[in-house]
Amino acid sequence: MSSFIQSVTQSRVWKSFFRHGWPDDELNRSLIMTTNIFFHLHPVKVSRRSLKATYSFGLGIIATILFLILTVTGTLIMFYYVPSTESAYQNIVHLQTRVPYGQLMRNMHRWAAHAMVLVVVLHMARVFYTGAYKPPREFNWIVGVVLLVLTLGASFTGYLLPWDQLSFWAITVGTNIAGYAPLIGDDLRFILLGGVEVGQNALTRFYALHIMVIPLALAGLVSLHIWRVRKDGGLAAQQAAEEPLRFEQEDA
Amino acid sequence: MTPQTGNSPEQDQRFARTPMKTYSLMELVRGVSPMVEKGPDDTIFSFPMVALLELILLIGTTLVLVIFSLLRDAPLEELANPDVVTNPAKAPWYFMGLQELLLHMHPLLAGIIFPGLVILFLIILPYIDVDKSDAGRWFGTARGPKWVFFTTLYTVVMQTALIIFDEEVGLRGLGAASPLILQVIGPLLFGVLLFGLPALFVRRYHPTRREWMLVLFTIILASAVVLTISGFLFRGPGMHLYAPWNMPGGYNPWSSL
Ligand code: HEM
Repeated sequence: MSSFIQSVTQSRVWKSFFRHGWPDDELNRSLIMTTNIFFHLHPVKVSRRSLKATYSFGLGIIATILFLILTVTGTLIMFYYVPSTESAYQNIVHLQTRVPYGQLMRNMHRWAAHAMVLVVVLHMARVFYTGAYKPPREFNWIVGVVLLVLTLGASFTGYLLPWDQLSFWAITVGTNIAGYAPLIGDDLRFILLGGVEVGQNALTRFYALHIMVIPLALAGLVSLHIWRVRKDGGLAAQQAAEEPLRFEQEDA
Repeated sequence: MTPQTGNSPEQDQRFARTPMKTYSLMELVRGVSPMVEKGPDDTIFSFPMVALLELILLIGTTLVLVIFSLLRDAPLEELANPDVVTNPAKAPWYFMGLQELLLHMHPLLAGIIFPGLVILFLIILPYIDVDKSDAGRWFGTARGPKWVFFTTLYTVVMQTALIIFDEEVGLRGLGAASPLILQVIGPLLFGVLLFGLPALFVRRYHPTRREWMLVLFTIILASAVVLTISGFLFRGPGMHLYAPWNMPGGYNPWSSL
């Protein structure tokens, strides 16, 4: 068995995939982080303090995980959904009653969407109350604000797609708020809906935004955001561990 | 000439085997190097610890979500019908704070100006509070947690009182009739009151910038939470206030999630 494993991990094919040995020493533990695109978003080493559950509560990671779950369940739902006012509602009924695990897929997609809004807001609150927006993290905080707006946008555009009474009136009420903007309000609402009221054009636009525009923007910006955490020197907890507080210095 | 090394002439020029320069110590300067006055670095390799923690979060989040999804179905009402208005007609829960605010003042204030100011505040915040000596520390200062606690308490009480006052009495009940007072001046005064009272109070303790931001952010966040809960949970038919468990017509606010 071990000679089999060895012949696999020594083979040219394996070595063309992975450019480092088994990560059980310091060199290879560095290499695994720097040569893997997913791990590359992380630093090679992190401070113990930043791993404490009560510092970050893992909320940013959980938001990322929810985004991934939404991508998977959303893709599965897309196999059964056509964004037409004629068929959308029937597609959802069909998904729930006829498709194996269809109801579960829809439930997971919906609850994950609500959870993501909640978790992102909690993450923002945690970042604020730990003062992690301060230099050098100003830019990443602003990227975060954009992520918050995009998360709300993703959830809102998805809300229309089942085309039931709940969707229709929620989007009618929601887009009315945009209509209150002075001068551009009515135009803004018209552009969003592709008309003066919620109809096929609105469904088409919300669908395109929901499955393409906003997820792409989110995927790009979330990657930037997490990579930037590393470029800013890891979580701010690190800094606090290294730099004593001002009054502690004064005491000394 | 340099000895034969098998290198290209350029390489030999730049990384000469026998450099012709000598180096000596010219001056001592006081400065910060990465490790000056720092404790031993308390770091560990990201692999495998961080990878494992992320795996645990992935499994945990998925598990909770699957279990919840087995217990509760996503809502689906009748086919959309533009001719039948639902009562109440509500936006998704995360916009119910805005919709609640709209009940109390001019739509320009509630729908555009206030949310716009909040976004603006969030964007400029890291350029207002730039002292990084307390970054990465929960609540920053020793009195931070206490201030956040009392600001939250104050905001919840004040915001709830304002909502109930507007529902039961309102400026109209006090004799105001002009739309300008009802829709703009009145709400603005209440806004000044909401932020002004704690500001006047904490000013006496000479807050740092971080503490000012703690108070300001907490008023905004707690207000948003109270408005959202009020709009989502306590507004029933006609957008009037009811107890969530006792809505007329069997309306259940939770069914619109
Ligand atoms: C889609 C939404 C978001 C995702 C997926 C996300 C993801 C992450 C992740 C994975 C981290 C690493 C630390 C942690 O887990 O807490 C992080 C940190 C951070 N996030 Fe976010 N985030 C999002 C939204 C936001 C928002 C709304 C803000 C603020 C307005 C924000 C500001 C920051 C900052 C400043 C850090 C560095 C924190 C520190 O150094 O302690 N993020 N984010």
